[in-house]
Amino acid sequence: MNWDEVVKAMLPEHLLLAGMVVLLTLEILRGRPRDGFVVAFMALAAAAAAALMLHVEGYAGAPFNGHFSVSPDASLAKFALIALALPVVLISRDDFAETRYYVLLLASLYGACLLVSSDSLPTLFLGLELMSLPVYALVLLAQLRADSAEAALKYLVLGGTATATFLMGVALLYGWSGSMSTAVFAAALGSSDTLPIAGVVLVVASLFLKAAIVPFHGWAPDAYEGASVPVTAFMATIIKAGVLFAALRLFETAPVARPLVDVLAVLPLVSMIWGNVAAIRQTSFRRMIAYSSIAHAGYLFYALLGAGPGRAQAVIFYVVVYGIMNVLAFTVLPRGTDDERSDRLESLQGLYQRRPFAAIMLAVSMLSLAGLPPLPGFVAKFLVFRNVLAAGYTGYAVLGLVASYLGIYFYLRVIQYMFMNAATADQPAGHPRRLALAASLLCLAPAIVLAFFPGWLLDRF
Amino acid sequence: MGESTWLNGLLWLPALGMVAVTLLPKGRDSLVRGVTFGCMVLQLFIAALLYQRFDGTVAGLQFATDVPWIRDWGVGYRIGLDGLNVLLVSLTAFLGPLVVAGAWSAVHKDVKLFHVMVLFIQFAMLGTFLAQDLFLFYVFWEAMLIPMFLIIGLWGGERRIYATLKFVLYTAFGSILMLAALIYLVLYTHGSSGYMTFDLRHLSGSQLPLNTQLWLLSAFALSFAIKVPMFPLHTWLPDAHVEAPTTGSVILAGVLLKMGTYGFMKLGFPLFPEAARAMMPVIMTLAVISIVYGACLALVQTDIKKIIAYSSISHLGYVMLGLASLDLIGIQGAILQMVSHGLVAGGLFLMVGMIYERTHSRAVADYGGLAKMLPVFSVFFTILTLASIGLPTTSGFAGEFMALLGAFNAAWPAHLAGNDLPLTLAVIAVSGVVLGALYMLWLAQRILFGEARAPHAPLTDLNARETAILVAIVAAIFAIGLFPGEPLAKTELAAREFQQRVAGETIQLGSTR
Repeated sequence: MNWDEVVKAMLPEHLLLAGMVVLLTLEILRGRPRDGFVVAFMALAAAAAAALMLHVEGYAGAPFNGHFSVSPDASLAKFALIALALPVVLISRDDFAETRYYVLLLASLYGACLLVSSDSLPTLFLGLELMSLPVYALVLLAQLRADSAEAALKYLVLGGTATATFLMGVALLYGWSGSMSTAVFAAALGSSDTLPIAGVVLVVASLFLKAAIVPFHGWAPDAYEGASVPVTAFMATIIKAGVLFAALRLFETAPVARPLVDVLAVLPLVSMIWGNVAAIRQTSFRRMIAYSSIAHAGYLFYALLGAGPGRAQAVIFYVVVYGIMNVLAFTVLPRGTDDERSDRLESLQGLYQRRPFAAIMLAVSMLSLAGLPPLPGFVAKFLVFRNVLAAGYTGYAVLGLVASYLGIYFYLRVIQYMFMNAATADQPAGHPRRLALAASLLCLAPAIVLAFFPGWLLDRF
Repeated sequence: MGESTWLNGLLWLPALGMVAVTLLPKGRDSLVRGVTFGCMVLQLFIAALLYQRFDGTVAGLQFATDVPWIRDWGVGYRIGLDGLNVLLVSLTAFLGPLVVAGAWSAVHKDVKLFHVMVLFIQFAMLGTFLAQDLFLFYVFWEAMLIPMFLIIGLWGGERRIYATLKFVLYTAFGSILMLAALIYLVLYTHGSSGYMTFDLRHLSGSQLPLNTQLWLLSAFALSFAIKVPMFPLHTWLPDAHVEAPTTGSVILAGVLLKMGTYGFMKLGFPLFPEAARAMMPVIMTLAVISIVYGACLALVQTDIKKIIAYSSISHLGYVMLGLASLDLIGIQGAILQMVSHGLVAGGLFLMVGMIYERTHSRAVADYGGLAKMLPVFSVFFTILTLASIGLPTTSGFAGEFMALLGAFNAAWPAHLAGNDLPLTLAVIAVSGVVLGALYMLWLAQRILFGEARAPHAPLTDLNARETAILVAIVAAIFAIGLFPGEPLAKTELAAREFQQRVAGETIQLGSTR
């Protein structure tokens, strides 16, 4: 083990860890409660910069051989994860002053970074769990709502099931191959034996559960609604991205053989349809976003159908665009003192008259999530379906596109509420906050770049 | 600074205008209108310059730009003028300032957002016409939805939300299948030629099996046919037109509907020529049904806007008929009819808007004897009515006549060969001319003549701004009607290429005399 390599390759992780240590030390020393925000933000910014530096440098290395390695693609994925957390932290300050919130957030990110770089199934498992566990607590931290405990418990129980399923799958794969390397999974994809296929199916099922794919999606609407706004934003973007990066790590570039293709295609397809249809009936904004994220998880897993380098390109680009647009929506969302009321979709009525900037940003976010050009969400959708078509699954691609069409209506309805309906009398005032504005600008800048120059990110693969 | 700079300037001027208008201070409505109008006028000048310098005797693209955009997929920022789009680009640029001027006193709510959206849709429409790259085309094509959604939904009539959602959901459904088809087409070309590109010039050279062509053309055609709209996919149009504000109706009738026919002409038929030939009887039949059905529905409407909306379905049926004839005269007529309909229907919708501003009614029954009350209005309305009917010396005559002539030209050899369908269809299509005269003249008779009455009478006649708008439109209608050879000279070569590409050898022999 080369110590220089250990320091350099894990620099983003080290910086996150340093942030946690400083935060905990400050807590012991009884610093002012607001300190948590500043330290966490600086740690994140430094970690993001480190990941970007490693990517630009094209750094590749394996400090813990067979367990942890860094590639330029992995550094890019880490940068995306950490950078997405920056605006989330910026909108957290009003809700959370406690140090523990920021420690949990950094810990979860540490786990996400770990799984991106994992080379062995135990490391991947460690990363996945380290990413998920703090979130159960984060959901519970929302004291604004009475039902957040219920949401957190639901999430915890189902998350535990996912953990068990994942371990069972890993056990089967180990029993088949006698190896704990992540490469076993890719090898099992091409196998036709029962044992490896069962292992793959179990692992994929646990990822489906964590990404909220139908029929494992039941926890998502409750958890998204029960958590506070920044935590919902964190779950909808970074956790989802982390799970998809875990899937990407396992699938690598290996082609998927026939019986597994149908498993991998049908459930995501059902997710797209159900997520988009169920979102139409929602009256709560966060529940609607939960169903939207169920549909988007479907598109993301669709991207795994195509083999080769296009897979990583599609997943990372989609995750980045989807993450930016989701966080953008949450940064501008008007917030009132009564969380339950301000979360209602009707409270968005006439938003354009009251706060034009917020309304336009929310419209940009919705149109991008709907995948309408010229917004970057379209390029992301295009990438996914190009991959599916290139892999030869024309039927699935057409069905998926039609499913994505079903989603257009409820996104447009949000715009209709904001622009075309008159405001009702008792709307939450929701004055703009400076940090939230900074957060939305942080999302807007890359969104504009990706809308006009998608090649800037796409040509990096 | 090459020649392409002018074309880029034309395309990006509205986008720059959007930024400029967004940055204007709050509450300065006249300034917003002025900047938008100035931007549109400047654009018209550039378009006029480009039209003047466009050389109809040279094949291929002119003023073209070709810059890689997403290198990895072979997507490029490729724009250019050719014979197929030069007239439509000019039409779009021509209607731009008129649309802004027409909305000068009609829009008082969210004036800034309104003008940003008008510039946005202008940008998207020009982009759609100019795009020479399939990806770019699709981006612009879909981008038109967003501003139109807001224009109808924010400034429209009572049922505006229903109408705008119907419009978006209809058109988006077509485009989603088109997206699948275009990715498939590019991947197929990639597989056979070895490199991936969205360049239209390259894609139209790909040799697809007939079966694949039929599927892909169906997907493209669905999208285009919804936009035209062709029977039986037309039901969104009356709602959208009636609920849209005047500006929305003018943009919709003036330019947006031509996107559908342009799509057939630019992509649908040339990319899949064999399939296009195989599907021609179906397309012709639907076109003729659109002509007659649209005209019949226009006859029984009681809302002036609805009459013009249904007449659009009928008139665009001629465009499709002319294109589907695959006869040079028919194709030229179709192109001319697109421009003519943009001017005439655009003008009529503007006039309905003008009278609506005064009376707040669009019901035919509310009006009578306007000729006595509003003489200037009535003169212009009569001229536009006659142009809509297709009276000689107006642009409507040249377009409709040539499209029908093309249909007969193509039908005669088929008739001699024992296939009577094209001839039957052409004969039925002629009846549309009679029906067109019937509903338009009847409309004019009901509202212009007879006992003088109108809501909120007495009314003031057209002011200088309104008169100027209509003078410009009428001048363009007569210019094309009297000298159709001038614009047709710019399109002839492209029309010939289109014909040769789609008709192939077999039909071409029959139709060339």
